[in-house]
Amino acid sequence: MYKPIVIAKNSFKELLRKKGLQVLLVFGLVLIGSSQLFSFLTPGEEIKMIKDVGLSAIEFFGALIVIFGAIGAISSEIEKKTLYTLLAKPLRRRDFVIGKFLGISLTTLLNFSVMAIFFIGLLLFKEHTVSLGVFKALILIFFELLLIGAIALAISTFASSAFTVIFSIFLYLVGNLIGYGHSIMEQTTNTLLKTVGTVFYRIIPNLENFNIRDKVAVDVLVKWSYLTKTISYGLIYVAVALLIGIYFFQKREI
Amino acid sequence: MDTVIKIENLTKIYKLSGKREVIGLLNFNLEVKEGEIFGLLGPNGSGKTTLFKTILGLIFPTKGKVKILGKDVADVEVKKEIGFLPENPYYYEYLTGPELLNFYGDIFDLPENMKKKRSDELLSTVGLAKVKHMALGNYSKGMLERIGFACALLNDPKLLILDEPTTGLDPIGGRESRNLLMKLKSEGKTILLSSHFLSEAEKICDRIGILHQGELLVVGELKKLLQEEKAESFEDLFIKIVKGKNV
Repeated sequence: MYKPIVIAKNSFKELLRKKGLQVLLVFGLVLIGSSQLFSFLTPGEEIKMIKDVGLSAIEFFGALIVIFGAIGAISSEIEKKTLYTLLAKPLRRRDFVIGKFLGISLTTLLNFSVMAIFFIGLLLFKEHTVSLGVFKALILIFFELLLIGAIALAISTFASSAFTVIFSIFLYLVGNLIGYGHSIMEQTTNTLLKTVGTVFYRIIPNLENFNIRDKVAVDVLVKWSYLTKTISYGLIYVAVALLIGIYFFQKREI
Repeated sequence: MDTVIKIENLTKIYKLSGKREVIGLLNFNLEVKEGEIFGLLGPNGSGKTTLFKTILGLIFPTKGKVKILGKDVADVEVKKEIGFLPENPYYYEYLTGPELLNFYGDIFDLPENMKKKRSDELLSTVGLAKVKHMALGNYSKGMLERIGFACALLNDPKLLILDEPTTGLDPIGGRESRNLLMKLKSEGKTILLSSHFLSEAEKICDRIGILHQGELLVVGELKKLLQEEKAESFEDLFIKIVKGKNV
């Protein structure tokens, strides 16, 4: 069997048993379920609110699940010393990192699917129909989660668990605000600040690209070509993050 | 007899914060021949685990070479011929014994039928056949040591590396483990082991080496070493050599 698949299967089994991830999933479902309660903020726009809050909840709790899953995937193997016996066997370190990413992706897919099915069920119950835009938004959220998982995994190959959590959440927040930050930087006259801002803008993935919630909530059409472009953008970041992770993990002493 | 392990001028220096350094191994040289049981003895922190980790490619040498069966340890394929038992083995707590062996069997690329056959045989050999359905998280220390033995033998290795193989075993388990090692030797396996227990090493090792502060102080057959160092017992020899180094 292809070695990364062997690692992925075992990693998936392990992540399914993580109580912390199960709790996050429950929180996500509770927030999606209670999304209609937020409609008091905008009377008469219950469906818009359910879509907006529901998709936000899937993205936010999905991101937390994938970050904590990615951290546990490598650091727990090091802390519990299971990696010690595993790497003493004919397993290439790159296969281990790729396998862990596949395991995290499977776990993400499962948790994401549970939240997405619940969300779609809620929409069907309320509106008796689900627009294609909702599915497009969900697809983009899933690829955003994969991107976040790959980055968190890459960081965990060389950093401590605490640093990985903080840095991954920081990247998630900055990635969602980077377009806004860039437009502010564009207006500054300070050259140094402008250069630093531009470098950050080029390096940090722009997660806003994956966010079409506002458009979906008001039924604005998002073209398939936009999805293809954004997914490709995400997959390039995933590939780069995995290469960085493999590079550092190959140098890491266990 | 062919050389199974060849280590030349191996040095491992750990770099700590503030430009401090700790010597793990210093100009370590060793050859272990096919079918030999070599015992590496030394106090805690003498460098035994550092040596094993270097041989297994878990850490990287600062200087020197390690070859297993003529191949550089950087070649991951060489690990197909190695069985490894770590000190205090740690495994996935949620797996059962057969599941763990199946997982490692996949890592070794063992065919399906072979995996099942080896797994059943080894679980019987180490006395864990009756607890097949028990998760490893519920195993005692001795049971973990036994499943560790089974994992180390799964790929029918030419070389066995055993870090403190009898730690955690009761006297009966310790004897069974020694008998198993002698049986493996009779099958032509090469064994490199570390131990704190001098009496254990005395009983099973063809040659021993005494490691202290990263340096291999003596290597040889126990009887010859006793004569050369004019020591009455193995314990005398060990203390004499280790203390001599400290003076």
